[in-house]
Order: sequence, then structure tokens, then C-alpha cells
Amino acid sequence: MDAMCEEQTINKSLRLSRYVLKHWRKILFGFAMSLLTVGFNLAMPYITRYIIDGLTQGDLALRHLILLPALYALTSLLAAVTSFWMRHTPLRIGHAVEADLRADVFHHLTLMDRAWFRTQRTGDLMNRMSSDMRQVAMTVGQGLMQVCRMVFVFFFGFVIMFSISARLAWLMVLFVPVMSWSFSRFARRTKQTHLAVQEELSRMAGFSQEAFAGAQTIKSFAVESRWKGLFCALNDALVGRNLALARVHEAIWPVAAFWLSAGSVMILVVGGRSVIRGEMTLGQLVQFNQYLLYLQWPLLSLGWILSLFQRGKASWERVGEVLKSRPSIGDGSRTDASLEEVRGELVFDRVGVTMEGQTLLHEVSLTVPEGARVGITGPTGSGKTLLVSLVPRLMDPASGRITIGGRDLRDYPLSVLRAQIGMAEQEAMLFSDTLGKNIAFGLNEHSEEKVLEASGIAHLHGDVEAFPLRYETMIGERGVTLSGGQRQRASISRAIVREPRILILDDVLASVDTSTEAAILENMRPLFQGRTTLFVSHRVSTLRDMDFIVVLEAGRITQQGTHGELVRRDGYYKRLCEIQELAARVN
Amino acid sequence: MKTGPGTFDEQEGRGTPPPFSVLRRLLRYTRAYLPALLLAFALILLMTGLFNYLPVILRNAIDRYVDATGAAEASRIQGLIHLGVLYFVLSGLGSAVRYAQGLVTAWTGQRIVRDIRRDVFNKAIEMPREFYDHTPVGRIMTRVTSDVDVIQQFVSEGVAGSVADLFMFMGVVGFMLYLSPFMTGCLFTVIPFMIALFAFANTKLRRANREIRRAQAAMNANTQESLAGMTTIQLFNREPVACSVFGEYNDAMKKACFREVRWFSFYFPVLEWAQALSTVLILAAGGWVILSGKGHVTLGVLVAFLSYLREFFRPLDSLSNRIGSLQQALVSCERIFTLMDRDIRIHDPEQPVAATHIEGRLKLDHVWFAYNENDWVLKDISFEVQPGESMAIVGATGSGKTTIINLLARFYDVQKGSVSMDGHDVRAYRKNDIRRHMGIVTQDPFLFSSSVADNISLRDPAITRVHIEEAARYVNAHAFIEALPNGYDTVLNERGAGLSAGQKQLLALARALAQNRDAILILDEATANVDSASELLIQDALTRVMKNRTSIIIAHRLSTIRHVDRIIVLYQGRITAVGSHEELIRQDGYYRRLYEYLSVSE
Repeated sequence: MDAMCEEQTINKSLRLSRYVLKHWRKILFGFAMSLLTVGFNLAMPYITRYIIDGLTQGDLALRHLILLPALYALTSLLAAVTSFWMRHTPLRIGHAVEADLRADVFHHLTLMDRAWFRTQRTGDLMNRMSSDMRQVAMTVGQGLMQVCRMVFVFFFGFVIMFSISARLAWLMVLFVPVMSWSFSRFARRTKQTHLAVQEELSRMAGFSQEAFAGAQTIKSFAVESRWKGLFCALNDALVGRNLALARVHEAIWPVAAFWLSAGSVMILVVGGRSVIRGEMTLGQLVQFNQYLLYLQWPLLSLGWILSLFQRGKASWERVGEVLKSRPSIGDGSRTDASLEEVRGELVFDRVGVTMEGQTLLHEVSLTVPEGARVGITGPTGSGKTLLVSLVPRLMDPASGRITIGGRDLRDYPLSVLRAQIGMAEQEAMLFSDTLGKNIAFGLNEHSEEKVLEASGIAHLHGDVEAFPLRYETMIGERGVTLSGGQRQRASISRAIVREPRILILDDVLASVDTSTEAAILENMRPLFQGRTTLFVSHRVSTLRDMDFIVVLEAGRITQQGTHGELVRRDGYYKRLCEIQELAARVN
Repeated sequence: MKTGPGTFDEQEGRGTPPPFSVLRRLLRYTRAYLPALLLAFALILLMTGLFNYLPVILRNAIDRYVDATGAAEASRIQGLIHLGVLYFVLSGLGSAVRYAQGLVTAWTGQRIVRDIRRDVFNKAIEMPREFYDHTPVGRIMTRVTSDVDVIQQFVSEGVAGSVADLFMFMGVVGFMLYLSPFMTGCLFTVIPFMIALFAFANTKLRRANREIRRAQAAMNANTQESLAGMTTIQLFNREPVACSVFGEYNDAMKKACFREVRWFSFYFPVLEWAQALSTVLILAAGGWVILSGKGHVTLGVLVAFLSYLREFFRPLDSLSNRIGSLQQALVSCERIFTLMDRDIRIHDPEQPVAATHIEGRLKLDHVWFAYNENDWVLKDISFEVQPGESMAIVGATGSGKTTIINLLARFYDVQKGSVSMDGHDVRAYRKNDIRRHMGIVTQDPFLFSSSVADNISLRDPAITRVHIEEAARYVNAHAFIEALPNGYDTVLNERGAGLSAGQKQLLALARALAQNRDAILILDEATANVDSASELLIQDALTRVMKNRTSIIIAHRLSTIRHVDRIIVLYQGRITAVGSHEELIRQDGYYRRLYEYLSVSE
């Protein structure tokens, strides 16, 4: 019941109009500009008509020949100005809506949990953030502009046309739908064929991508010529699709031009007959023809606008899907806002995790006294990373509970909990920023001093000194690529710079050599004082230092004890020690 | 490890416009389609004539029938209808010609672009291994896809469009001059001003669009990174900061869009205004001539001129627009030609030694090799493998094991010494002839996202399903393939995701044998964990495959090493020991330590 209510309020606030209507003043202004523009544009042919009629009847004074064109020029200038605002206002609103919406979606994404992100493809989310947003902006902007302009153009245009000549106007009423219909049919066919071209293009792109990625294999087996042949076939298929598109697409403008000529001929013959019979003036005929030209573009774009709304709706739905998704981890009704500290014993109480029907952690119980250092080891895929990621609540256990100082993790406000945890992940994600900023990532205020200290402890400082820009060195695609060991040490620095109560290090010394490892461990010794530390590692040299070691196998704790105790017992840990001793001799 | 002077780095674009030679080279692609191009040109001329004659009919209709008072009403109407029919027919004809011209142009353009695309792909696939080691796939893709697309845009719309526009404009001016030189002259007084205005608006609009693309790219990069690092952001309570950083990109994007909106909104009113001003000019000038009664301007001429105005500005406008697309196309062309001009480095000899039958004697003779100058990876390596002999190479990471394979298959050429096959230097053969005699199985075999059968046959139509299954059975891959949802027709995921390391290795083995059943086996064993079931199958298959076959194996497994005739121990680019398993185990060296380690860890 509660959930239902919540769902409804979400849906209610999820209306595009909420984003659009706050610009209502500007929207009205845009409408007014549109009305004025249409008015000016429809007025101008009157001037043409007076000049031509004056010339035909010979009662036009030279004075008029200056005055009327001047009036025409003035009207056209005003029309240009209002026409500018007619476009400028709604299109800007479109982009403003786009920016607001995008900021909201991004904010929403920062609330979503890891499990949700795993179900999403980044490319797809990116599309929603870019092309779908632009489609929404386009639909809002162009939609506001085109629809109201079109209404004005058709309404006033036909009113005037009827006032000039009812017969010609009726002809237009019959003619217009045929023209519009045939044109939009072509536009639709074009879209369909265009999709086929896109399909073929992506097929070819996929083929090339794989050919280049697998170039070594292709070369190894000397089958380049076969791949060239396959590419050639795809290339020809693409040409075929493109030509099919051309057959439809190239017809659009000739068809439009033909219809327009047909309209002109109709006006010329039917209207001309009326002029000859004296029922109408030549000026009126010319004026009428100009309206046909003026109506041409709105007519031809009718189909486009309809599809614009369809595409906009689809895009909005895709964006809305993201906004509607709810994070499964976050502060809720059980959150106790008065908790400001995370202290005490860390207890895993019969914790179980199941994903897609597979039990990944099974009844794991573990008590870590405050300030203790625990080594966690086990074969690949035994659940070590999963176990430690439960502490900062990257995921919640399906059964059992985890407590700190006797309080369930879910009681703590998420930001309070995470602020007290320093975690260095297995695959350290660094951001394209300076090295210093990356280390100070979790600090509320950047502190040079703390950065230096942390990087000294993690044995990174010496490497940084070798960079010309030192801590100002840019990292990532547009900067320096760090080695695996450097990344890990940067990630350790980032975790310890926050001076967390709980330190979680997930296999962070795997890529550093043994002497560096020893130095880091030595440096960290004072740091470990009074901090609860969970250290996932495969290395005996690391584990040996811990207060006690936990062995996880297939999601269960199979061994637990100090290094001294475990080497004497048969089992995973003892074997690990033996293998690593021998391996050390090999390399 | 393999960066440095040999790097194929490529500038994404240079500041200066590309030289004229690029255009000339692009034009060379049109040669094969000259007749079609001439046809398109003729059609453009015809179309121009037809469409531009229509206003003349309009003049005749008005001057002879509508605005003529002399003749009888019925005959005037009759004449008017005749001209109306003529107008209708000519405009229909013009539309048809325009359509035909569009088709011919599209046909030619598509073929030219196809040729370029084919040449780029063929060149790219010929590039040496070194190139692929240093160039991200994305960048090569850009050449084949977006760069070619830009050219396509230009070739199919730009070139033909520009020619058509130019002739349309000239046609309009010609007919205008024919109708009234005076009024045409009046119109021409405003043209320079108009062209300048269009060029101005176009430049601004293009610049604004470029800025949008830049802002979008920056924002996308930020979004992509934030999405990838969302867990980290959340762990460090950085959500508000991430939002505000994103907000800056979002704002920059909004501002760029606003600028574009400004120039976009400016653009059409200018176009309309230019048309309106010309209308004014024609009404005033024409009216004045008619009133003064001096000239040959009639009401019909006036109306015809108004009709021409529609065709007058469109070509001017789009021509100024197309200069930008020409520039872009030339930049893309230059990038493509740069790739095409690349040296493929590993060249075939002019008179290659025939390699129809290979015994399989391989020899490295005092080989020195470095990927980067003077950073020797192999130092004075010599060994020989007799036909039918199997040899294992062992050694720590970075000792140069894989490099030996690269030299044998001639992916690289040695700096000193020589690599030979059957007594001839590998450089004396055609490189594909050598490779065809080698079945290379890499550590992480590349699997294509096509069917299992295609992955084994590498889409060679000559390798039948029977052959494929035979090869698969021979290496113990048949059972697991049959267990896949569609057996041999199962389409694999990208890079074979979902298959275990062992299964991939078996497939690669089947592939090597299917390609050439007498191939020299060159195997780089997987270091990744292979499940024990696959392990047994692989060992069983290897024993069979290695029998009486020249084989070189980079070994990581005890069982493999035990089955070979001879073992080479490589240490920092030098051979430190050679011998059989029994011989080596007796020495107290690297091999014995490796053996002890492997016996415990497996």
C-alpha cells in the first residue's frame, strides 16, 4: 500500500510538462511572436497585389511606387525580427528543458546502487543521456514553434484565401491534403529505408571492428584475402541499401516541386480565367499564388512534425524509465539520523548473499573487534570481494545481518557510514583529473599536506616525484597512464587520506613487487593502529602481518586463525604458503 | 613495453587545411565513373533548362492572354489552358529529369565511396602486427566508418549538389537577363551584400555546431567516467561534487546550444528578408519601368521575376554552406590517405621461394631482436627444430618466449641473425606462404562472433562441415561443441565470452588443424586457469597432435613439458639451458625449480 502511494507520487512528478510549463511566460511570448510573424507574412502579398493592380489599371502614382515598396520593406523587416524571436524563444526553452532534465537524471543516477548499474549497459545509458535528451529538446522546441505557427498559418491563410476567391480557395482545400499525404508517404518510406541502411552500416561496422580486433588471428592464418572478400560483399550490400534509399529519397524534392507546379498551374488557369472574365484582378491572382508558396513549407513538414512527436515521446519514455527506477540501497524509514559515528565491533551474523539463484555467501559469521586487522583469502571467486563490499553497503545481504557497535548497517545514514570507511578496490577506478585531486578524492577540503602524507605511506611519492608536474599530473586518457602498481598505490592513498575508522583493502598489493609491498606494509603499521582493517589478499607476505586470517572457500569460511596457527593446520592456507615459497624460487 | 620510435601515432587532424593534392587524389577515384558523371552533368543542364523555362510560360500566359484586352474572351481562355498544359508537362518532365539525375549521382557517389572504403579496409587489414599493437581499434574504425561517411556526405550531396546549384543559379540569371537586363541589373546590386550575409550566418552556425559537438564530447566523457566510477563516487560520498561537476558540463552544453539557437534563428529570417527585399526591388524597378512606359517590361515579366526569386537564393545559400563540408571532407580524406600511404613494413620478396610443401625444419641462427632500438628482447638466440620434433620453451614472464613465435611467423623481422624454414630465410618466402604452414594457437585465442563452424573454418568455403567436425573430434572439441545450444551453428558471443579458457584453446586447436592438417604447430599455452576436465582433453589432444609434427610450444604446464622431445629455457632473452626433461631435471637450475613449483601448484 505504502509502495503504491509512493509509486503514484513518482509518476505524477514525472511529467515533461513540469519541466516545460515553468517557462510559461516565454512560451506565451513565443506564441505572440508567431502570431505577429504570420500576420506580417500574410500582409505582404497585399502590397504586391496593390502594386500590380495599380499597374494593370494604370492608376498607380509614382508616389505609390515609392511608398508601397517602402511599406513592404518595413513589413518584411518587422517580420524578420519577429520571426527571429518566434524561433529563438521556443528552441531555447527546448534546450533549457534538456539541461534541467539531464541534471535531474544525472543526480538520480548517483543515487542508484551497484546492482542496478550491473543490469544496465553503459552505452545505453549514455544514449539516454545524450541523443534521447536532444530528441526531447528538439521535440519541445520545434514542437512549440511549429505547431502554433502551423495553426496560425493555416487558419489565417485560408481565411484570407477565401476572402480573395472562394473558388480558388476550395480548390486549395481539396489540393492540400493530397499533396501533404503523398509527401509524408515519401518521408515515411525514406525513414524505413534509412533504417535498413543503418542496419547494414552497423553490420559492417561490427564486422570491421572484429576484423581489426582479431587482426592477429587473420594474419596468423593468412586469410586476409578472405576477409577482404567478406568486407567487399558487405560493402556492396551497403551500396545496394543506399541506392534503395536514394530511389525513395531522391524522389522527395522532385515530387514536392511537381506538386507545387501543379498548384501554380491550377491557380494560373482557373484564376487566369476569372481574371479574363473580370471576376478577379491579376494582383489577386499573384497574391493568391504567393500564399501557396508561403503554405508550401508548413504543408510539407506536417508529416515530419507528427513523427517528431512520436520520436520525442519514445525518447522521453526512455529517459523516464531511468528516473522511475528506484535504488535498492539508500536511506529509508529505518535510518536513524541521530547516528553520527561508526564505532565498535564489526559483526557478520550468518550473512548470506544469493544472486541469480546462486548462493555466493553462505551463513558467514565473523566478529572483528574494533581496531583489529583481518586478512581475508581464498581461491578466485570464493566471495572475498563480495564479503567486504557489504560493509560500505554496495550491496545488502539477502539473509543475516551486519552490525557495527551493535547497530545494523542499515540503521546508519548511508553518508555517515561511508564517510567512516576507506576502501581501495581491486580494480582501482581513477578519474581523469590530476593525481593530487584523485588522491584527495574523498576529502571535503583539498589538503596538500594530507595528500603528501598519504602518498608517502602508500609508497607512491617517489614515483610522483619523477613526473614533471608531480601531483598536478593529469591521469587518464588525456594524460599519463599509470602502471598497475601505481594505480593500486594511488588507490590506497585515496582510501587512507580520509583517515577512516574502517579500512578495506581489496587485493591492492597484487601488482606491486615484494620489496614495495614490504615497505608499504611497514609504512602502514602506525596507520592500522585503532582502525578496523579488512585486507583481502592472495599473498602470504601480506596476510602474515594480520591479527588473524579468514579463509573463504565457495562462499563459506573454512579456516580462521593467526598465520602461526594456520600454517600448522592442513588446508588451503598451508598449501598457499608452500606454493608461494616455491614460486618465489622460480622467479 | 612496445612503445617508442616504432609507434604508429597519428594526429587526429592538423590545424592547416589539407593541400590541393588531397583533392586531386580524391578526384582520381571518379575516373572509373566518368561516363556516369557526364550523364549526370547532362541531366543537370536539361533540368536547369526545363525548370527555368517555367516562368517564361508564366510571362507569356499573363502578357498574351490574362492581361491582354484585344482578343476574344474564349480564345484567351483557350490559349491560357494550352499554356497551362505546357507548364504542367514541362514541370513534370523537369521533376522526372531531376529524379533521374539524383539517381545517377547517387549511383556514382555510392560507387566512389565504396571504392574508397574498400581501399581503406584492405590497407588496414594488410598493416603489420606492429601497427595493431600500437593503434587502438577505435581509431582504425574511425577511418573506415566516420571518415568515409564524411566523404560520402560530400561526394553524394556536396559535389553533385554544388554543380546543380551553380547551374541552377546561372540558369536563373540567364533567363532573367533574357527577360529584362535592367531588372536583373537592379537585382545584382544587392547580391554581394546577400552573399556576405549568408556566408556570415553560415560561418557562425557552423562554428556554433562545432562547439556543440565539442561540449557534447566533453560531457559524454565526463558522464561515461562517472557511470563507470559510480561505485567509487558513492564510496567516497562524492555524489554532490560529481553532480556539480556534471552541472558545469551540462551548462557549457546548454550555452553552446543557446548559441546555436541564436544563429539558427537568425538564419531563416535573413533568408526570408533577403527574398523580401529583392521582391521590393523588383516591384519598384519593374513598376517604374512600366509606369514610365519606356522599357520592355510587362506585367508578365514582373510576375515571372517574382517566380524566379524563389530559385535565386537557394543555390547561393547552399553553395556557401558546402564550402564547410568540402573542408571537412578534405580533412577526412587526408587522414584516410595517410593510412593508405603507410608502409606495411613486412614486405614480400620480389621472387619468393615456392612453399608448396614444407618439411618443417625451423632454425634460429644468432638472432638478435628488439621492439625498440637497442632494448634487446632476444640476444643471440640459436636453435634448430628438426621435422617432426616437438620443442617447449619455458621461462619467466618477459624472457622473450612470445617474441620467438612472432619472428617464426614473420610478424616482425630480426635485426641481426636469421630465422629460416627448410633452409631458406623466412624473408625469402611470401609471408602468407609461411603462415599458411603454421597453425598458431595464441594464449587467449580470438574468437569471432559468428558460428562455431565459421570459427574453425575461418569461413573458408572449401572446408566442409565434415572437415570441421573431423578437426574438432581430433582435438576433443566435438563433445562440448555438440553440447552447445545449436551445436556447430551456435553463434558465439563477442570474443567467445561464455566459453571457458580450456574450451577456447580447444577451438583454436581445431581451427589450426582445419586450416592445414600438416601445419607446424605453434602453441602459446593459456596461463589462465583451465578447469581440470578441459585440461585432460587438451593434454590428450596435444599428445596426438604433436606426434610426428614439428611443434613449438610455450609451455606453462607440467604435463605439456613432459611430452615434448626437447626443452629450451629462456632467461632474459638468452637460452640458458637446452635438453630433455630428464637432462634438465638433473641440473640444479631454473627448470628444476619450475618443475617443483608446478608439481605442487597443479
